[in-house]
Amino acid sequence: MKDIADHIFDILENSFNAEANEVVLKIAYDKNHFFCSISDNGRGITGQEVLDPFVTTRKTRRIGLGLPLLERAAEDTGGYLKIRRKDEAGGTELEFKINTSHIDAKPFGDLAMTFSDIFLSRPDIGLKIFIIKEGREHLILDFSGLQKEIEEGSKDYLQIRKHIYETTKKELKSINVV
Amino acid sequence: MKNLEELKIMRDKAQKDLALRSGKHNIKIVIGMGTCGIAAGARETMNEFLNLILKSERNDIVVTASGCFGFCVQEPMVHIYAEDQIPVTYHNVDVEAARLIFDEHVLNNKVVEQYIFQRGKTNE
Ligand SMILES: Nc1ncnc2c1ncn2[C@@H]1O[C@H](COP(=O)(O)OP(=O)(O)OP(=O)(O)O)[C@@H](O)[C@H]1O
Ligand SMILES: [Mg+2]
Repeated sequence: MKDIADHIFDILENSFNAEANEVVLKIAYDKNHFFCSISDNGRGITGQEVLDPFVTTRKTRRIGLGLPLLERAAEDTGGYLKIRRKDEAGGTELEFKINTSHIDAKPFGDLAMTFSDIFLSRPDIGLKIFIIKEGREHLILDFSGLQKEIEEGSKDYLQIRKHIYETTKKELKSINVV
Repeated sequence: MKNLEELKIMRDKAQKDLALRSGKHNIKIVIGMGTCGIAAGARETMNEFLNLILKSERNDIVVTASGCFGFCVQEPMVHIYAEDQIPVTYHNVDVEAARLIFDEHVLNNKVVEQYIFQRGKTNE
């Protein structure tokens, strides 16, 4: 994984692979600390052992790399990754922090591209993206309804992709995630 | 207010977009999006295929993502499913390979030997 944008795309894929159709992602950036949380309504993890590379529900390969790699990327900077099951019914909550001033910190990469790519690979997903500014949460993009705009013909596919990219780019810039 | 011609163009475009996402497709391009695929540049590959589809003006080709195929060093990996044909799996599909595979295999039915990983079903 070359950058934080790749990691975020990757852990969002985990949510979708766990049959989540509602995912809430929050991002904050303050004093060199990049914070990201993801909450989904998928089938939920069974325990912390998912951080062990030898734990995976995939069938094609016996190790899962996504979470251990992210944990390493976070801890290398003095940050952390936490993941837990929401409740018995399922759902997963995950958060991580990266100290971007640390010499081992990966660059942000193009996060806006991550979001337009997610729409490309999972167009019917209900993803909500928030940024946290001065302690307050702002909803910057809600994917639900975008697919419908295409179906109803009011927007086309490229327009939506551009819309996602430009909106999130602008908002991320407002919290200095560039 | 839009004139009739503009509305018609918009509708045609919307129908094409919709066909890209749902309904019947003759050709399906599936890209492995596990951790190793992403690390190897599968997102760039996916975007390239999408741009090629849009450029080709074909509305019977779709690109989707799947989990990792399990052969990490060979990523990005791509399956091409075409109607009445054996599915083909390609490996190390970077942007350049994507262009070649699209022109030869997707548009002209010619398998690209250079990037072939497997013919027929994989274990996923
Ligand atoms: N959001 C989630 N909801 C439910 N289960 C999850 C979630 N995220 C991870 N898991 C579980 O944790 C396991 C390990 O995840 P991890 O991302 O490390 O590897 P993977 O997705 O299996 O494979 P890879 O990421 O290498 O392609 C997964 O196989 C899955 O069982
Ligand atoms: Mg994963």
